[in-house]
Amino acid sequence: MRLRLEGIRLRREGFELNIPELEVGEGEFMTLLGPSGCGKTTTLRIIAGFERAEGRVFFDGEDVTKRPPYERNIGIVFQDYALFPHMTVFDNVAFGLRLRKLSKAEIEREVREVLSLVGLEGLENRYPEQLSGGQQQRVALARALIIRPRLLLLDEPLSNLDAKIRERLRGEVKRVQRELGVTTVYVTHDQEEAMAISDRIAVMKDGRIIQVGRPLELYYRPKDEFVARFLGTGNILLLEAKNGRACLGSLCFDTEGEGKVRVFFRPESVFIMQGEEADVVDYELLPGRMRLFLEVEGQRIVAERFIPELPFSPERVPKKVGVRVGDYLILSP
Amino acid sequence: MRAMVGRRFWVLLLLPSLLFLVLFFYYPIALILLDGLSWGSLSSVLANPYYRHVILFTIEQAIGSTVLTLLLGLPGAYLFAKYDFPGKRFLKALLTVPFVMPSIMVALGFILLFGRSGFITSLLGRDLGVLYSWKAILLAHAFYNFPVVVRMVSSLWARINPHYEEAAESLGARGFTLFRRVTLPMLYPAIFASSMLTFIFSFLSFAIPLILGGYRYGTIEVAIFTSIMTLLDFRTGAALAVLQMGLSFTFMYLYLKSLDAYSKAEEQRVLQRPRKLTLSDFRGLRGAGIVLYSLIVFLFILAPLLAVFYDSLTSSGHFTLKWYRHLFESSYNPIFGSDSLHAVIWTFVFGFSTVLLATLIALTMSYSSRRWDLPGKIIFDVLATLPLGSSAIIIGLGYIKAFHRPPLLLLGSPFLIIAAHTTIAYPFALRAVSAALKKVRPSLREAAMSLGASDLLAFLKVELPLAFGGIVVGAVFSFAMSVAELGATYMIYQPKYTTVTIAIYRYLGSRQFGPASAMAVVLMLVSMAGFLVIERTGEEVW
Repeated sequence: MRLRLEGIRLRREGFELNIPELEVGEGEFMTLLGPSGCGKTTTLRIIAGFERAEGRVFFDGEDVTKRPPYERNIGIVFQDYALFPHMTVFDNVAFGLRLRKLSKAEIEREVREVLSLVGLEGLENRYPEQLSGGQQQRVALARALIIRPRLLLLDEPLSNLDAKIRERLRGEVKRVQRELGVTTVYVTHDQEEAMAISDRIAVMKDGRIIQVGRPLELYYRPKDEFVARFLGTGNILLLEAKNGRACLGSLCFDTEGEGKVRVFFRPESVFIMQGEEADVVDYELLPGRMRLFLEVEGQRIVAERFIPELPFSPERVPKKVGVRVGDYLILSP
Repeated sequence: MRAMVGRRFWVLLLLPSLLFLVLFFYYPIALILLDGLSWGSLSSVLANPYYRHVILFTIEQAIGSTVLTLLLGLPGAYLFAKYDFPGKRFLKALLTVPFVMPSIMVALGFILLFGRSGFITSLLGRDLGVLYSWKAILLAHAFYNFPVVVRMVSSLWARINPHYEEAAESLGARGFTLFRRVTLPMLYPAIFASSMLTFIFSFLSFAIPLILGGYRYGTIEVAIFTSIMTLLDFRTGAALAVLQMGLSFTFMYLYLKSLDAYSKAEEQRVLQRPRKLTLSDFRGLRGAGIVLYSLIVFLFILAPLLAVFYDSLTSSGHFTLKWYRHLFESSYNPIFGSDSLHAVIWTFVFGFSTVLLATLIALTMSYSSRRWDLPGKIIFDVLATLPLGSSAIIIGLGYIKAFHRPPLLLLGSPFLIIAAHTTIAYPFALRAVSAALKKVRPSLREAAMSLGASDLLAFLKVELPLAFGGIVVGAVFSFAMSVAELGATYMIYQPKYTTVTIAIYRYLGSRQFGPASAMAVVLMLVSMAGFLVIERTGEEVW
């Protein structure tokens, strides 16, 4: 199913959501990414129909703006899972099918199927409080999927879990989504999660969508400083451009404009060589990698390289190194 | 269109409840206001030294009761918040008992304890002069309210983040200074809210001052009752009622405000783990304190009940079952103009009808309030809460005025008694239900709706089952209030609809304590059943 938002506006005290247009393609995994309070959960709730706003919501070209949530056929997983505490796992998952008046045998079969899809066989008779956080999350996912939703909405579904389980589950969410091919909107503030899981990401800030694109596109071609910084560590150098070039010492970048420019590149685009161009201010050892904090002509540069790629031994880091920048981007002012 | 009906369905559900409220609360109250809210009647009441004394005493005794209640409740709050000790669960359960005990029974218990030939009087060998004075009134009010103080204050106390106290200690505060400067200020919301509740309870108290206060110590509530039932002076009654309503609505407003502050403070999730006390800890001062306090609570709560129970089994010092045999006689009893069996039957009929109506009203109102998406929600909430600030006697007076002539000639009908009980009881059921509903996370309803449940279905299948405990508690409260109701019923009933509570009151008037005690034991058993139901729900009511 294709999802389309048009002219969405919602004003609240001290906050305004404004999305002129957003489209999520058939079977696409779209993530709304942004800091807390940016309006990503509100957007999700508008899509679900829990929140009313100006503008229109289309499912496959059909205007569903005025439809209540229970007539939209959506699956939604909440941050707190919202498992019904007075029902067993089976009853929780079967809830949607019972409302659709399916026969007992059918319900039984479907529940079993979806529970095996999320890897929860054998826990049918437990109550939510008897499950671990990860298991509760899977039940919530199964409950949302069993109604064969046209659209799957996930509101920070992994944020209440430990880092390890979070990583494993995000892979599973992606696998299940691909297997079913269900159009999905996912909300998170975790850029790594968003990169790992999404087909496309919409970065949001202060109630607006700043940029929409594929993960690597956003990562290497951010539209502005906010996107650049939000999606990981980035170097932004403020330089003066002359004759189509901006230089910092011997590091030179091709520019189109003249005057003040901002040059952006990721730490892994910085290559380290032997040389004297940059002072090594500090460094950190990461698993298999080294992060170096360099200074060139008074400007800070962060570099990150795999240890075997370094021209020196990690035990003996020199005071000065040579640098070269591979992939860079001139940020629009 | 379907969506509109679905979303605004609550309006349809609400209408009957609103109609009930208008007919059986606002219309009668309006008639009282029409009569009493005039300069002439108000000033003639205020110019009368007797009524000035009554108003002053009502406030004085309410303040006194609140102070005594705090003195009794605060140590308990401390013990409950800080320590786990053997018998704590039992003590906690015991503290729920006063919630469901009818005041007529407690008054009877006090008479049997402190009367001229009462248990305590004969134990000490002299009359303490408690009965028929302000002392008995204060004690009985404390009996009802100190569990509230223990509950509210200890619940907040247990939620004070230990880091505050630890930080203060690291900065040099200790002992009483630590308590006064750091802990106590954080307890103020609970202390203030529970004090306000005690104050209002005592301010509007009727049966206790009527029976235990004697001639000299009456509250406004008693004065209204006497001016209407004995002096047939409706003008004075209405003027007093207007004065009382003015005051009690003000107090009720303050109480609800303080309750807001309290719930906000109570929302903190941090829970101190109470220290476990083992038997060996009991040798110290702390242990002695706990034992002493438990003993006081035990005696204070159980003594009136035991006195009634003992008295029901004795006749001039000998064991007898004759008072109980009288219970099942269907012979006409001139003291209350009916027979015991029918009194028991009517009590249950009124009780269950009240439960049914009050629960229905509470459910429709809380559902509507949760779904309200039109302007005017605050007005509705105020209209639904106002009956909490009226009183049984005011309702009785209003009903006499409103329903004594056609087309609304309902006076003397059992349906009017049910309406009165429901009007008195439903605010409590509403509070229990909406408190339980408030605990249900909104995402659960939304999850149900995303899965295809309509709004009403989500309420019935998800929110309601989760709030079931609160509904049961509300139902038990409604039943207990109906069974215990004296003032309003007495003003609008006919002898053939005598209830157990009224029968006991008539027995007390003719100083027949034996049969009164046997009947009170019936009440006690009924209340105990309610108490057990509440315990079973596991809902925190105290």
